[in-house]
Amino acid sequence: MNVIEINGVTKNFPAKRFSGEKIKALDNVSFSVGSGEIFGLLGPNGAGKTTLVKILLGITYSTAGKASLFDKPVTDVNIKRKVGYLPENHKFPNYLTGEQVIDYFGRLSGLRKGDLEKKTYKYLKIVGMDEWGTTKIKKYSKGMLQRLGLAQAMISNPDLIFLDEPTDGVDPIGRKEIRDVLLELKSQGKTIFLNSHLLSEIELICDRVAILNKGALIKEGSVEDITTSENKYVFLTSDLSDAIMNKLLVEHKSTVQGRNEFSCFVNGVEDVNKIIDYLRSSGILIHGVSREKNSLESMFINLIEQKN
Amino acid sequence: MVLYAFIKGIFKEALAKKILLTIFGFFTLIIVLIIFAITNSTVDGLQMMLESKSEGGLREAVMMLQSGIVSGIPMFMLVASMLIITASFVPDMLKKGHIDLILSKPISRTKIIFGQFLAGIILVFVSFLFLLGIIWLIVSLKTGYWNFSFLYSILWFTLIFAVLYSAVILIGILSRSSILTIIINLLLFFPITWLLYLANRYFESDQKGIVFGAVAEALLKFFYQILPKAWNLQDMCDAIITNNPVTNYQPLISSLLFMAVMLSVSIWYFNKKDY
Repeated sequence: MNVIEINGVTKNFPAKRFSGEKIKALDNVSFSVGSGEIFGLLGPNGAGKTTLVKILLGITYSTAGKASLFDKPVTDVNIKRKVGYLPENHKFPNYLTGEQVIDYFGRLSGLRKGDLEKKTYKYLKIVGMDEWGTTKIKKYSKGMLQRLGLAQAMISNPDLIFLDEPTDGVDPIGRKEIRDVLLELKSQGKTIFLNSHLLSEIELICDRVAILNKGALIKEGSVEDITTSENKYVFLTSDLSDAIMNKLLVEHKSTVQGRNEFSCFVNGVEDVNKIIDYLRSSGILIHGVSREKNSLESMFINLIEQKN
Repeated sequence: MVLYAFIKGIFKEALAKKILLTIFGFFTLIIVLIIFAITNSTVDGLQMMLESKSEGGLREAVMMLQSGIVSGIPMFMLVASMLIITASFVPDMLKKGHIDLILSKPISRTKIIFGQFLAGIILVFVSFLFLLGIIWLIVSLKTGYWNFSFLYSILWFTLIFAVLYSAVILIGILSRSSILTIIINLLLFFPITWLLYLANRYFESDQKGIVFGAVAEALLKFFYQILPKAWNLQDMCDAIITNNPVTNYQPLISSLLFMAVMLSVSIWYFNKKDY
């Protein structure tokens, strides 16, 4: 079952007041997110990531296209009972304590006093803020505010959680703790929609990602598929002679890394098998053959550079 | 639950920003002044002025005293101070990063506006209840005459505030600026509606020293009709607390209509706006 469905969503913003000019923040974006997934939305600044999340939460309206959560249109207010949200640069009233923030937003989520009392401590403890619950949040650091924001997003035990830069300002240990919380939520069957610039984190926890650039969806798929090269293979072998290395360089435009490893571009598996045949016939032992895997970051940078 | 959250939120904000402390401190000062100002000789003096020492004379003296307490200038000062105090509530709610959170909750935008509106009104009602309730108690204890009609002034003042607060909500949504909201609303309250009130009284009177052009008169009458009539409402409040009949309900109706229009436009704009 898909929790999020986005079909041809377009959003135009007026460029200048009364000028009639439009800026296309989102251009015919379509994808879906399944139940229980951790889904990452990537893109450079101004790609339209936050706009898309705001459309899904009914904070901003789309100019065209349809978006739904749990098979209901995003304009249905009641659907938000199943949704938690941590916005980027959130602003909680700074005269409240951590517990009061949870209480206020919990009540707005429709929770009752009895429920809230039990849950407030529970979720503050989950995000490691239980000792700071009675402190006014104006004394909190950026990282502490992010943790509190995460607790606020989880307070109504939602099935779907949108997190916009959840680890922004959080130290490495805190980031690891937040990752663990997200993985725990996933194990409970929750769906998590993550906006983040920290690609290494996305790579660590996301099942699938979508990449936006200038409002358009340029790539979507599992992290494994996206980071794995389709036509570049890595070969691990016994010692290669100079003659064999030369042949590989000339005929297959290989990149040799030492005497036991090389990678090359191929046109399909037939080419891979031809290389294997050649190596075997030359008396080379093959230790392993695999498609080359890039980091999400390098793939992302390459993709954005190509598009720009 | 949601409305309770908004009301609690507004009270917490008022408490944290020392708004409640300021209100109650200021009101306590007024109450102390009234305690010292109202003496037996004050009432005696009023009775002498009314040339009646009977029980009826006492009743009239007390009513005159109470009428003076809630007359035009005190009403303006009380309501204006409340408008200034509450003007930041909507712009604060609309701050980026805060409104996103509120709109992500399962509450309709219409309910959010009503929540803010009601929360502001309840805060002001409690403040007026404190001030005018204690003034009534002091006057009653000191004079021995319990004019329960005076307590209606709490509701009337809250109503005057509510009518003007509906404009605060709209301007707050449109401008997102507390300062602009305060300036526009105070100008609306005084001098705009006050001058229109005076102009209307002048048009209705028999003695006319200045002659307005037909267009100017029509324009003044038009604006008088469509804008809130805080000063007429104060007159109605005065009539009620002095047990006089209210002969014309048109200012009440048109003010309520103004409030309804302001809230409707606020809700319409807030519902279509991207945040």
